[in-house]
Amino acid sequence: MIEKIYEILEECCPDVDFRTEKNLVDDGLLESLDIVMIVNELAEEFDVRIGVEDILPENFNSAEAMTALVVRLQGEE
Amino acid sequence: MSVNGVGFLLFVLISVILYYVIPKKYRFSVLLGCSAVFYLSNGVGAAVYMLTTVVFTYGAGLLLDRFGKKRFHCETAEEKKKAKNRLKKQKQAVLAAALVVNFLVLAILKYSGFFLASVNSIFGRTIVTAPSFLLPLGISFYIFQTAGYLIDVYRGKYGAERNFGKYALFAGYFPQLVQGPINRYNELKDTLFGGSDLDWENIRCGILRMMVGILKKAMIADVLAPFVSLVYSDFGNYPGILSFLAAFLYCIQLYCDFSGGVDLLCGVSRLFGVGMAENFNQPYFAVSLADFWRRWHISLGEWMKDYLFYPLAFSPALTKLTKWSRKFLPAEYTKRLTPCICTFVVFLAVGVWQGPGWANVAYGLWNGFWMSLGLLWVPFSQPFKDKLPSGKVFVTVWGVLRTNFLVIIGRYFSNAHNASLGNALSMLKHTVVSPDVTSCSFALLDELGLGVGVMLRLIPALCVLFCISLAKEKGVDLAQWFGNRRGSVQFVLLFAALLLIVMGVYGNDAYTPIAYVYENV
Repeated sequence: MIEKIYEILEECCPDVDFRTEKNLVDDGLLESLDIVMIVNELAEEFDVRIGVEDILPENFNSAEAMTALVVRLQGEE
Repeated sequence: MSVNGVGFLLFVLISVILYYVIPKKYRFSVLLGCSAVFYLSNGVGAAVYMLTTVVFTYGAGLLLDRFGKKRFHCETAEEKKKAKNRLKKQKQAVLAAALVVNFLVLAILKYSGFFLASVNSIFGRTIVTAPSFLLPLGISFYIFQTAGYLIDVYRGKYGAERNFGKYALFAGYFPQLVQGPINRYNELKDTLFGGSDLDWENIRCGILRMMVGILKKAMIADVLAPFVSLVYSDFGNYPGILSFLAAFLYCIQLYCDFSGGVDLLCGVSRLFGVGMAENFNQPYFAVSLADFWRRWHISLGEWMKDYLFYPLAFSPALTKLTKWSRKFLPAEYTKRLTPCICTFVVFLAVGVWQGPGWANVAYGLWNGFWMSLGLLWVPFSQPFKDKLPSGKVFVTVWGVLRTNFLVIIGRYFSNAHNASLGNALSMLKHTVVSPDVTSCSFALLDELGLGVGVMLRLIPALCVLFCISLAKEKGVDLAQWFGNRRGSVQFVLLFAALLLIVMGVYGNDAYTPIAYVYENV
């Protein structure tokens, strides 16, 4: 799953190195516009519903955190 | 009580002494008492409006919290799911009702006159006479702050505040009342309710910040205000180039007025050891409009992002639209469709937030248009941007100039006389059609309040501000630099600077403090 997430992230934000950055939101590398794009792509690809309550920095600070979010939401549905 | 008067400084001094004299666990009560005195000094009517909002949102917060803590004792998973959904709907209903009532108060007090005037103008005669309401001090700020609190409690980000006094202090803490920032409960509560020990670092940083605020407001913003006001209200009688100069100077005036006020009040708050949200980060050094809005009125931008942009972006309607658009649009545009629509709506809201009047709506549309276009433009501009050498000075300078040009044009709308769209467009047309540069003389500038004497006071103040801003942009912390000096040097420097400002500004009979631009927003 994480490789697919890397692919989505790199398509949305080609300037960011998602494989090494672990503080994407806290360091300002991802902004609200990027997050909306990423959430829509993740929701489409993995068929999950990411709600506004899930939009927390800790869920988007790294590709691993986003993978964990998707896995959690898949489990809930 | 005017914030930029000597009376306010005395009030702060007494508040600080009282705060540190009282035992630590009661210090929040001093802040609450001082906030009540400050607000009452601005009129009992305004205080009644505020108290109503505080009581109402306090109750709504407790109700939402009660729903959030409810536990289910169901036998099957299906029953539990149903009960959860039922509870979620009840919570949504409570939140929606609370937000509607909260914003309805703001809408009636702030926009009903504009709305009814628009209705009358559509019919060409007076259908309904617009009532005149009292607009309480800082109403937009405390309404937005309490609305953010309710949404956070609804989302389970934190529990509701049970102590009414503490909640009232969060909503009505006097340094945030005049023009924000819009603080968050979870970020403010520890220092606000906990009580701080007397710390020289806080006092030093607070006084320094207050001085920067007074420099911006009294020595720049209030000096520029008469010229800007004269030209905006009567632009047709002056060369068009002066309209552009007025819009340019209004950018400086507004920044110094708004951020100066915030600096002064953040400084005051720091004296109590309470750190408030930052609102500005050298906005005129921005290299794009998006960058500008990340640096300008940050707490409103963050509020809009969390409570309008995201809920809208993830709403069922826009989720459906994104799915539908995947069938017809290239992937590059599908990804950008939702952010684009939401950005447009957010900026429209920012425009309306500025105040009633079609010029403010146009201001929102102006920013929304460029921000949305910027998003859609990325697939075209990216290959070109990739070829540009990064970090080159001319690229940065070009970005800064381009951004500030868009900001200046926007200010034709946001400061239009009587918030009239017609006035804004006429002024813009006047600038382009009849710049009449040759008619613009020193004598005319002198007549309009920008004579040599004024410039001799203004230019040094602007130079000091530019140096402070540049140092901050380069990561130099003025307070830290100052803190590294010897104690006696710090004392002498602080005392001398304070004396200069107090004598230079308040000691001058000709200086009449002007109300903050966003004081009654």
